[in-house]
Amino acid sequence: MSTVRAARSGGPETVTVPLLPRLSRRALLAGTGAALAAALAGCGAGSAAAPDRAGPLRIGAIPDQDPELLQRLHAAVADSLADALGIPVEYRPVTDYAAAVSLFRTGDLDLVWFGGLTGVQARLQTPGAVPVAQRDIDADFHSVFVVNTATGLTPSDDLRPLADLRFTYGSQTSTSGRLMPAYFLREAGVDPEGFPGGPGFSGSHDATLALVASGSYQAGAVNEQVWLARTEAGEVDPAVVAYARTPGYSDYHWLLGPRAAERLGGPDRVVGYFTGLSPDRPTDAGVLDLFGAGSFVPTEAANYRQIEEIGRDLGLIS
Amino acid sequence: MTTVLDRAAPPAPRLARDRRRWAWGLAAVALTAAALAGSGLLSGPVLNRGGFAQFGRFAAAALRPELDPGFLAVVADSVLVTVAYAVLGGGLALLLGAVGAVLVSRRTWGRRRTGWLVTRGLLAVPRGLHEAVWGLLLLNVLGLDPWVGVLAIAVPYGAVTATVFADLLDEVPRGGYEALVAAGAGRGTAALYGLLPPAAGGLLSYSFYRLECAVRSAVVLGLIGAGGLGYQLALSFTSLRWEQVWTTVYALALLCLLADVCGRAVRRRVAAPPSPGPGRDPVLTASVLAVVGLAGWAGWFLALSPAALFSGRTGEQLSYVAAAAWPPSTDPSLLGDVATTAVDTLLMSVVAIVLATAGAVALAGLAARPPAAGPLRRALGVLVRAGLLLLRAVPPPVWALVLLFVLLPGILPGALALAVYTLGVLGRLVGEAVEEADRRPPAALRAAGASPAGAWLYGAVPALAGPVLALALHRWEVTIRDTVLVGLLGAGGIGVLLSARTSAFDWPAVTTVLGAVVLLGFAVDVLGSRARAALR
Repeated sequence: MSTVRAARSGGPETVTVPLLPRLSRRALLAGTGAALAAALAGCGAGSAAAPDRAGPLRIGAIPDQDPELLQRLHAAVADSLADALGIPVEYRPVTDYAAAVSLFRTGDLDLVWFGGLTGVQARLQTPGAVPVAQRDIDADFHSVFVVNTATGLTPSDDLRPLADLRFTYGSQTSTSGRLMPAYFLREAGVDPEGFPGGPGFSGSHDATLALVASGSYQAGAVNEQVWLARTEAGEVDPAVVAYARTPGYSDYHWLLGPRAAERLGGPDRVVGYFTGLSPDRPTDAGVLDLFGAGSFVPTEAANYRQIEEIGRDLGLIS
Repeated sequence: MTTVLDRAAPPAPRLARDRRRWAWGLAAVALTAAALAGSGLLSGPVLNRGGFAQFGRFAAAALRPELDPGFLAVVADSVLVTVAYAVLGGGLALLLGAVGAVLVSRRTWGRRRTGWLVTRGLLAVPRGLHEAVWGLLLLNVLGLDPWVGVLAIAVPYGAVTATVFADLLDEVPRGGYEALVAAGAGRGTAALYGLLPPAAGGLLSYSFYRLECAVRSAVVLGLIGAGGLGYQLALSFTSLRWEQVWTTVYALALLCLLADVCGRAVRRRVAAPPSPGPGRDPVLTASVLAVVGLAGWAGWFLALSPAALFSGRTGEQLSYVAAAAWPPSTDPSLLGDVATTAVDTLLMSVVAIVLATAGAVALAGLAARPPAAGPLRRALGVLVRAGLLLLRAVPPPVWALVLLFVLLPGILPGALALAVYTLGVLGRLVGEAVEEADRRPPAALRAAGASPAGAWLYGAVPALAGPVLALALHRWEVTIRDTVLVGLLGAGGIGVLLSARTSAFDWPAVTTVLGAVVLLGFAVDVLGSRARAALR
């Protein structure tokens, strides 16, 4: 505050308006001092409230689709998980994939719904992190290459015609929107970085669909589950059509942080909660339905070895 | 920027021609041509007609923003968060700046020029990185702590403030200070009583200008997840809910307007000639106390705890990142990418500033408040100024994403996004320059029988060209940093490389790219200030 005080010590130079009472130097300093004390008191109150071990279990997710949908999805999980574990659970939204990984490492997020690649990144950076569960569909997950109808392309297994199109991936470290499509493109002899003007990164599957619909990008890669959900709901612009489907790979999973694992006495209770979700119970069915899953199954680090290798190959894991 | 305008009018220009200006002018033309060619604007199609429908949906939503009470409550809460970050970040920057000013003042170093140069050079690092880049780095160390947002503003702003404060202190007459030293006062005391009082007006004026800028920065930080209006905007934007986007944009515009009006009122007051007699201006006193009070509230509101900065976890994460990030990567293919994307960034910033300056000059006549005008002309002026306010209220990355619907990918959407945003800023500044320009020469020419166009060309333009070009060069230095930000969110240039390397957690490469960003910003600063010197 020295500037403020010092700046004001230039008394004789300043303008005086007679309508308001003059402040003496002492009154000014006392007022500033009181305000500063209030500020410090505010800070002190904040430090007392800083939660650590006794706070809620914080869950998060990579922002791979519509944030409002994610909010609904994870609010439902948080409620149901809080009932099952008997501790408060809260959902913290994040704005990008890398932030989810960083916040898992710093311990701000305890249990995160990661994609295959981000899950590997987070596990490599956070000693003691354990993969707990994945959906039944995640062991054999697929991506879909979509094209704008103006390209005139008809569905095919040959990825080579995509090489000459303006192409966008989803997020930089999306497994189904970047890593695996890039891998299968390379397998088919297409340079995954060599599209005209370089590939775009839309940020999310929904954004990819919107950009391909606009024609700014002529083709893109999206998560098959999102593609099917949007097609069923009739939300896909008719200008976007599916071109090819990739072979299967392992994708999304829940990753539990070391501090939370310690607090819960190991991952078993969390694994038990997820695998115990049953479509027969209405509340569980609601959660499973939001995730587009029939059930959750236990998973382990070894399931993502292929993802890790490909990630290293493509320079996305270092 | 506006501080430039608030100062007294510069002395009349010399009438001699300066040859250096030819060199600078030719270089500027060459750079502009290269940038326009590089952007693809002059070669081949750039428009994507298929996207007009989507752009139309975005534009149409402007007339029917989301007014659901629940959403309005969320927006109101976000405004508070943004204000809290701006006040705390800006306030802390002023403290850091005050301390830093002592360290980088010429007076502190005296004849030890090397020491002075080294400390000044060190400041180029914190100020060379955009607030959003600081936000990303701090997130990796502090996690979700509100300190991320506060420090992301305070660190780069602190560095800029330190330089400006030091210059202000170095420029005031030193008679009082020397008299006090000669009379036996210590150097600290002499500085407090001999240097600070004459510099106080300038320091205060600049402080309020910084707080004004902090509001905009707090919004941008929201885009990368720090909360507040920017965060709300990012959420509505990713779900393509245009009605919500516009509600947030209007809230942003109002907040920016409020910050502009308050800041300008205070700065005008400081610049006004002092009235005789003792005592201080109660309005200024109240403003300073209000800011201090607001900072106290903000600390409470964000639950900011100084302990979080020194916790074990912060230390752990800091050493994790530091160990991973050093030494920087010298991989040749990375260096190649750095070079090409750095050139792209430079071209984008040049396209942006050239288009924005052209637009600002074209609109300046309408944006300026004429001394006497009919109701129609007044209404038109209000409309243009409101439009400019909206252009600068929407952060450039949002413009880039919207423009990507109607333009083919490349560096153009990003460059145009920056141009649109910069037009909002420059339009206002050039308009103010027009308002404050001497109206007598064109009036005299008109009276002597010149046509309106002739009077404007020969009476008004020569006096305005210098200040307008200086403003444009100054904005260019700001734009190069914003280009990195736009790239960070996907619109081309070195920012894209930075975001690719941070999402791969390739820390050594991140260090290299950040180094290149700092160097690029530094080079543009030097170039800009040299060119401005040639204009004087």
